[in-house]
Amino acid sequence: MENENFEQRTDLSKLSAAVDKIKTTLAQIIVGQQDVIELVIAGILADGHILIEGVPGVAKTLTAKLVAKAIDAKYSRIQFTPDLMPSDVLGTSVFNPKSTAFEFKQGPIFGNIILIDEINRAPAKTQSALFEVMEERQVTIDGQTYKMDEPFIVLATQNPVEQEGTYRLPEAQLDRFLFKIEIKYPSLEEEIAIVTQQHQQKTTEQLSHINAVLAGADIIALRKQVRELYVEPKILAFTAQIIHESRSNKSLFLGGSPRASLAIVNAAKAMAAIKGRDFVTPDDIISVAKPVLRHRIMLTPDKEMEGVTPDEVISQIIQKIEVPR
Amino acid sequence: MLRTVCLFIFMLFCIHGYAGKVPVPKPVVKIAVKPKAVLVTDTATITPRQFDTTALTAYKKLPEFVYRENYDGGPSLWTRFWRWFWSLFDFKDKRVTSNFFVFLKYFFIALGVAAIIFLVLKLAGINVLNTFRRNPKVAKLAYAESEENIHEIDFDTEIEKAVAVNNYRLAVRMLYLKSLKQLSDKGLIDWQLNKTNTTYINELTDNSQREAFKRLTNQFEYVWYGDFAINGDVFKTISLLFNNFKGGTA
Repeated sequence: MENENFEQRTDLSKLSAAVDKIKTTLAQIIVGQQDVIELVIAGILADGHILIEGVPGVAKTLTAKLVAKAIDAKYSRIQFTPDLMPSDVLGTSVFNPKSTAFEFKQGPIFGNIILIDEINRAPAKTQSALFEVMEERQVTIDGQTYKMDEPFIVLATQNPVEQEGTYRLPEAQLDRFLFKIEIKYPSLEEEIAIVTQQHQQKTTEQLSHINAVLAGADIIALRKQVRELYVEPKILAFTAQIIHESRSNKSLFLGGSPRASLAIVNAAKAMAAIKGRDFVTPDDIISVAKPVLRHRIMLTPDKEMEGVTPDEVISQIIQKIEVPR
Repeated sequence: MLRTVCLFIFMLFCIHGYAGKVPVPKPVVKIAVKPKAVLVTDTATITPRQFDTTALTAYKKLPEFVYRENYDGGPSLWTRFWRWFWSLFDFKDKRVTSNFFVFLKYFFIALGVAAIIFLVLKLAGINVLNTFRRNPKVAKLAYAESEENIHEIDFDTEIEKAVAVNNYRLAVRMLYLKSLKQLSDKGLIDWQLNKTNTTYINELTDNSQREAFKRLTNQFEYVWYGDFAINGDVFKTISLLFNNFKGGTA
């Protein structure tokens, strides 16, 4: 949002144009889900990995695929299954009889945009393989470290843990995801639009006509711009207080980590940039608090049994804290 | 068919008869010759060795060779408790058995009382488990607003003070808080410390009011959260917007 009395310090026109392009491209296929799309874009701009959760059939994979398609970068997809091994993800050293030496064959993780479908169907052993690559953007195999190319984005989808054949992801891995975005069922109007679109066979045609609207290099430049946005010290303190409160909240067994504080600030900067501002407001912080925190906090067993959700606790925490003004 | 069977049986008898007539070679019996025993008498002089009594005494004094348990002071309180505890389960002793049932009786009474207390507290809405937990430390952050009540501030004086020292940033903040007070006084918003500016905008039902307040909020956010430099001229323009608002339309 512009202001007639003040000149913009940062030129966010390229960023706004890029965001509009991605939104328009995705809107051709995906009906509704505007909040989800905005969060996915914010996650990409904030240099984070994104976990999309929803029951089967709510277009989780489609959303992730379309985002990947809208960005011109090396894309790879890994279908997580119960028998998947870490080497299937990272790669392995193979003996070459000609050169009589072991050669490293890169796994599908080597790419720019990695779509991990049904991430919680693989056991903890395979999940652990992602720890280093997600946090440090590198893979160490046989004493050799391989750096990932920028941008490196993991877009993962999962079913809720209550679903058959799913594992609970390790806390350490969940903490590495910037956002956990929950996709809900569409409204009645949206459902009608989906069915109509499919009936007219528009979806399949449009899917094949989706072109990349943003290059990988553009994302790197936009991320740099987002990082440099201004955050008032009072807002930083506001963020820290939210996280601090989560650690002492009686409904929670595990509160937010310092990584969560950083994630909120980075994501809020991206949100501010999407809204055309070069500074962060408390609204930006609050708008990203739930997707950043919901997978990082753990409810106490009694609260879990009472059916309390992490989102409800996050709302309670935010309501306790005074908005800096 | 019968002829074939008879022929087969006849042939079997023939084979058996032939096998019985094969000569078996007799086994060769070997007789072992025992060697003559040679007895050698040991003529070596035997000198019996004696234990070194000095060394034995020295060894006896070493704690490593004292195998007797030291009962000085008897078993510890902890050991005695566990002995008593396990003796309760010694069903061979009839006297003990009656003690055990007494113990069991009081144990169940105590358990019942605890269950009733727990139930009462639970029904009263007190979280029993949390009662024993350490109270969380509440972080205190120095927010200026928490010490301020917008209904008690003399905004005109505060704005004048801020403008007098060219602190236009603070002056814009006071103008915004003043507008919040005006809206709250008119019952258009429900003023709370934990509400964001957007929440107040959404609380306004009148479109023109909402748009006008949105514009004011934008000015405040640029100055207060965005830290945009503000001079006297810009302040005059912004001040005019706020003065025209007065809880209504700008």
